[in-house]
Amino acid sequence: MLTIALSKGRIFDETLPLLAAAGIVPTEDPESSRKLIIETNLPDVRLIIVRASDVPTYVQYGAADLGIAGRDVLIEHGGAGLYQPLDLEIARCRMMVAVKNGFDYDSAVQQGARLRVATKYPQIAREHFARKGVHVDVIKLYGSMELAPLVGLADAIVDLVSTGNTLRANDLVAVEHILDISSRLVVNQAALKLKYATLRPVMDAFAAGVKIESQN
Amino acid sequence: MRNWLLPENIADILPASARQLETAKAGMLELFRTHGYELVCPPLIEYVESLVSDGDAALDLKTFKLDDQLSGRQLGLRADITPQVARIDAHLLGSREGVTRLCYAGSVVHSRPDSLTASREPLQIGAELYGCAETGADLEIIHLMLATLRTVGINQLTLDLGHLGVFYALVNAAGLEKKHIANLLQLLQAKDVASLREELTCVAEPYRSALLRLPELFGPDCLRLARQHLPTLPALEQALAQLEQIGQSLEQEHVQVYYDLTELRGTHYHTGLIFAVYAEGWASELARGGRYDNVGRKFGRARPATGFSLDLRDLLRILPKTSPQKGIRLAATDHAAATSSANRLRAEGEIVVIDYLNESAAALNCDRQLVFRDGDWQVVPFH
Repeated sequence: MLTIALSKGRIFDETLPLLAAAGIVPTEDPESSRKLIIETNLPDVRLIIVRASDVPTYVQYGAADLGIAGRDVLIEHGGAGLYQPLDLEIARCRMMVAVKNGFDYDSAVQQGARLRVATKYPQIAREHFARKGVHVDVIKLYGSMELAPLVGLADAIVDLVSTGNTLRANDLVAVEHILDISSRLVVNQAALKLKYATLRPVMDAFAAGVKIESQN
Repeated sequence: MRNWLLPENIADILPASARQLETAKAGMLELFRTHGYELVCPPLIEYVESLVSDGDAALDLKTFKLDDQLSGRQLGLRADITPQVARIDAHLLGSREGVTRLCYAGSVVHSRPDSLTASREPLQIGAELYGCAETGADLEIIHLMLATLRTVGINQLTLDLGHLGVFYALVNAAGLEKKHIANLLQLLQAKDVASLREELTCVAEPYRSALLRLPELFGPDCLRLARQHLPTLPALEQALAQLEQIGQSLEQEHVQVYYDLTELRGTHYHTGLIFAVYAEGWASELARGGRYDNVGRKFGRARPATGFSLDLRDLLRILPKTSPQKGIRLAATDHAAATSSANRLRAEGEIVVIDYLNESAAALNCDRQLVFRDGDWQVVPFH
């Protein structure tokens, strides 16, 4: 049995062509089904639907053999005990610093300064500002980060930006690019060794699928 | 007050499991004894400098520390027994030339668990062979590791083989700096090809391509592909040849062998061959080991060394539960008269339990009882 952990939404939709390249077709759509275990056309392959940030945990503990997780999620998780052999080049976006329109970011982040940063990604935020030589007080939030600078909870936010529409709608501007984010294939280390014969063809098919998609 | 609550990742071992654990431990130590491994019992606490090598940040972080009021120095609770055994070989047994075989079993303590579900108090059991650099010594240790797991009935094993020599041959030939090497080690262990590509931009060919290729070099066919795709360097050839020799020898004995050239754990002490054992349905390795030549240098004697260890607590979780041995009931009123008969049975390994409260067979865990019949103390069924 091969178990693949995926999250609903963009990652699921953009993974479908890659699964198809490996000959795997889900029998149900997780958006309409409430099931958390989704069967596929192959009797020994199943998908489990979990929160994006939980994918590394499921794979690390062997509850799933493979998973697809954003680079952001993997950095926050730490990635211990996981292989991440393939950049799938899907669900692309950027990790950015954004501030309220009119906020003087450049003088706020001079060496030795201290900044309040609201984010869902404390590891990435801390590492980024430490590299700049700036102290930060990180405020961990679980959503609607854009609100924090508007109501005076934080000076800046660190968040994923794909179109920039949410920032614009809330009168925020992106001032710094931290990382390019895309989704990675993650593999349980023991599973790769014990189920090599099953996993390798799937991984190779994904790799070939990524090449074809990137040429289109 | 919730004073019954234990700290995170700390657990009791309850009756049936504790017996099973001790039985398993005794079986393993007996196996080591018959292979000529002498038992040592290093202390729970030592000076931190002895326990942790310079620069081994991961082990340092895992080591609980306390102040020694007698010396004013810092003590550590051991997080790994291997450095202690290396100290014993290098210093206390320093007058011995030739091969020394040592084994041990004891609790270690981790300030941080190795994973969310790992115990912070593993029961580490292992064997080490000092003074022989031959591949034969590595094979002896691998065989002993596999036999150790067989003593507890785990037979379906996959042996994972790696060799640090491949990686170091490439980074040395490419002339990379220490900091760069540390980053590469981390990325290679995660097979993080995307980040590896960024990290390798300034590395010269053919080493750049070779290092980028390493994450793909795993599986049964790995050595052939490595010869095809990696540059010819003497140290690299030597490492591949050793892997091949060990792999072939084990395959002849029908051990499932798997190679992985990015298996690079324990780089602070491992020096060459490394290996681990995996079993179906278990998400991490059951036992691990490898070559760690010259670890004893800081204790005054550099020696070739190879060994393995496993966490018996962790292993216990996958062992089929055994039901506890049934005993023989002895009524408290009969105790004084039957003492010598009871002790004779105990000497034969039987459990004889004194029943004060007239309890049931299930409560006493007894299926027989000792009663006086026909002029003698006899064992009869008890329900």
